[in-house]
Amino acid sequence: MDPELFRDHVRSFEFWFGAVQGYLEGTSFGLRPGAPEPPLDAAARDALVTVLCNYCVGETIALEGAGALIRIAPNRPTKVFLSTQTVDEGRHLEVFTHRLAELGVADPEAEIAARANPKLLEFRRRFLELVRGEDWEAAVFAQNVILEAMEFSVFQLHARNADPRTREILLGVIKDERRHIGFGENELGRRIAQAPEVRERLARVRRALDPLVLESFTSTLERVGAPRQDFDELGRSYLQAVARLGFA
Amino acid sequence: MKLEEAKPTPDAGAAPEAESAPRRRFELDDRGFDEVPKKYRKFYRRWEGPGDALGPNEILCPVCKVVIRSPRELRPGDRVYCMACMARLRIVRGAEGSLAGQVEY
Repeated sequence: MDPELFRDHVRSFEFWFGAVQGYLEGTSFGLRPGAPEPPLDAAARDALVTVLCNYCVGETIALEGAGALIRIAPNRPTKVFLSTQTVDEGRHLEVFTHRLAELGVADPEAEIAARANPKLLEFRRRFLELVRGEDWEAAVFAQNVILEAMEFSVFQLHARNADPRTREILLGVIKDERRHIGFGENELGRRIAQAPEVRERLARVRRALDPLVLESFTSTLERVGAPRQDFDELGRSYLQAVARLGFA
Repeated sequence: MKLEEAKPTPDAGAAPEAESAPRRRFELDDRGFDEVPKKYRKFYRRWEGPGDALGPNEILCPVCKVVIRSPRELRPGDRVYCMACMARLRIVRGAEGSLAGQVEY
């Protein structure tokens, strides 16, 4: 099959509907009926609330970014894909906020503002500068490679030890994230192949931004009590993604 | 476009390494992979971790860690698509002699 036809198809809403139907049909806020809610002690609940608040920050960044990037996307299939990603990110923000409410958080906005990791907020500020500057490659790199690749890893690592309800929500989000990281890598991989000078520019973006995301997600893993090897796995998984794009 | 064309079938134009034996064919069943539209689900399954063994018609997507399944034996030079993450992969012989997927952009 011609790669262009394949890309058009998998970036379409038609494909997206068929994909999300498989794992979201019958769910409510990312949960199937009857998902158990085991009791959490106060410390575990507090740690989970902080983690979920920062997931909400990450998802808000991606929601704002994906939506804003539609305007500068280079062609129709890319605009359509970003519209599906925008929907995904809005859903993620909603399900994480809903989980906060289940945990007794009465004012999620205030709680998110109070518990947001400063490094993640700094990432947001710099990322939105790239979006406002209409720097397509840098913004896609920051969002779909740096942010999404780390979220993809952290959500998987967290899901291993999470309570059943949080785990089910995370597993649904991870399924969406596969499309987002694949889109970013493919989009940038082709552009770098056509214009190798793009790589050097993105390397500068990477040096500036990925420590911010890595530090904030490392903090997340600490809060959920992840074992030391999970920290290494987070770094390894992310480095594999950027290595495929030629960043040593 | 016919949707059937999106199946992860080896690229007919690929140059497989010299192997005279005909390729084995495989009946694919639905393994519960629910992240692509229903008609494509049998072409994928979840990776179960280090203890999971890949069949001669299977390849692990290096981008999203999903197993791609082909109706026929895979050989170096073939190309497959991962619909879960939209990657296009070229099959290569890895350092340890096993098949691996290399992303093509």
